[in-house]
Amino acid sequence: MTTAALTFYGVVKRFGRRMALDGLSFRVPKGTSCGFVGHNGAGKTTAFSVVCGFLRADKGMFDVLGHGPYDPHRHKGLVGALPQDAELPDRHTPRELLRHLGRLQGASSARARAESDALLDAVLLTERRDTPIYTLSHGMKRRVAIATALVGRPPLVMLDEPLSGLDPVQAHAVRELLTKLRGEQTVVVSSHDLADLERISDWVVMLKDGKCLREGTVGEVTDQSRIVQWDLGPGEVPLARLAERLTDHAFTVDGDRLVQTAPDGALDRSSVVVMEELARAGIALRRVRRGVGLEKRFVDDVLGGG
Amino acid sequence: MTALRDIWLIAGFEIRRAIRSWRALALLVLYGVASGGATLLFTRFVGMLENTLADELNVAPTETPGTMLAQLVTSELWHRTVRHLVGSDHLADVLVTAPPLAVFGLWFGFLVVPFFAASASAECVAIDVSTRAIRYEAQRTGRLELVLGRFVGQLGLNAVATLAASAVVWVVAMTCMYGVQPVDLAVWLLAFAPRAWTFGLPFTALGTAASQLTASSAWARVLALGGTAGSWVVFGLVTSARREPWTTVADVVGPVLPQSWLQGLWEPGFGWLVSAAACAGLAAVALSVGYVRFSARDL
Repeated sequence: MTTAALTFYGVVKRFGRRMALDGLSFRVPKGTSCGFVGHNGAGKTTAFSVVCGFLRADKGMFDVLGHGPYDPHRHKGLVGALPQDAELPDRHTPRELLRHLGRLQGASSARARAESDALLDAVLLTERRDTPIYTLSHGMKRRVAIATALVGRPPLVMLDEPLSGLDPVQAHAVRELLTKLRGEQTVVVSSHDLADLERISDWVVMLKDGKCLREGTVGEVTDQSRIVQWDLGPGEVPLARLAERLTDHAFTVDGDRLVQTAPDGALDRSSVVVMEELARAGIALRRVRRGVGLEKRFVDDVLGGG
Repeated sequence: MTALRDIWLIAGFEIRRAIRSWRALALLVLYGVASGGATLLFTRFVGMLENTLADELNVAPTETPGTMLAQLVTSELWHRTVRHLVGSDHLADVLVTAPPLAVFGLWFGFLVVPFFAASASAECVAIDVSTRAIRYEAQRTGRLELVLGRFVGQLGLNAVATLAASAVVWVVAMTCMYGVQPVDLAVWLLAFAPRAWTFGLPFTALGTAASQLTASSAWARVLALGGTAGSWVVFGLVTSARREPWTTVADVVGPVLPQSWLQGLWEPGFGWLVSAAACAGLAAVALSVGYVRFSARDL
């Protein structure tokens, strides 16, 4: 019994002379909500497309849910995908499309009907479910597309840029929906909005130039066990006192932010010391955050050459 | 069983898509209008034949086509006309017993169905490859099931078109011709409709194959219609070849042209099923050629 929902071993995909995936290797554990991070052209969409069988890998191996490379027969009903830039078959209504895709996933007619209606409710499209897709707005189409990936309750859901083009209310509804799937289904989400990804993910795979830069839990990737960022009110940060009391820690001040770097496992103890010293110096605490944040980690890695 | 279920589901979805697309609708309307117009002209032609017959019999000419239908269908004049339409004495002997408009309806169907079938099916795969909409289904079923489903869907559309054209012929006959037996004509039209549909099989496959070869629906349509028109030209050359080596070439090329099996589709009883099987075989070959490309391409 494999514990990985998705595993890539040295996967290569070329488009002419351009290397889209350059020996890509990573794994996504089952039941996680995985953020797929990378700059434009990093290979996110290509990797998604290889997983779903839209593109064929030139070299390497990959495994989907322990059943080998993606095969629509072997993986029937096991994978749902939101392909990026794929237009919806727009002569149908959202309800017809979802029912059709649900039935192709292997669901019975009754189950496909019930699930389609429930999903259209969840993506706030109940009122437009019987109108042709070509009459819907971009955001509505996007939500229909997201619903197509979830119909049939597949164990692995691949969502390529699900939140792009959604207004804040719609994005919130979709985030809620994705959060509910945590633990029940493995969800792989790619997005350029790293704050969003950090909120909904517990596993991260970072890509750069077709290779995996980092992978691991959000905590590991953002150093949550070693770094704390303290957003402070005005006042002189007692750096000397902190260095004196926490000799194995490093402290830096960036504007009104104090960044504390600790040895593994020492944060809980040392955080109390930091709070004491800040209180003694009369400095207000505005926000505390563990780790560097996915966005900063990604930018540092990409700009720093990985 | 799963494969058959998927093909069935995709076919149903494809018919609904095709019927809602303006191109297929326009083609359907065009087919119907062309059938109606051609039938109307044919009723005039029947009127002319009747008047020629009236001259021969020294009776007064008629104003309304069909007034002398009973005499016409037993005349040598009509026998000659049918022989020209079907290209065989033996078939003409049999077909003179059928209502003239049923014979004409099938003849016209054989002429038009290939172009309708090839044009409508040319966009069945390509358009969704270009917009990537094909990914929604391709991710859930095999590519073979996908192509076969779309092909079967197009065959369903052809069936709708063929039946609609038959209905138009019947309506025109009822309104513009005297002496037509409504039930008799309807039965003959319904009996002939599957033959026109069958002749459309290889051309639907040609369109579906073209649609698999390119992601551009415009190019697919050019390939499909070019192939259809080309097949008629080649058929014309094949049937007119009289000298070696062209007769040998014609013997080789002839059987792979659907038109070579056309005469067989006029055969009475179950005789036409041999030619129908040949058309189905040609369709399978055309589909396979397209599928070789489609199965290996990135979507």
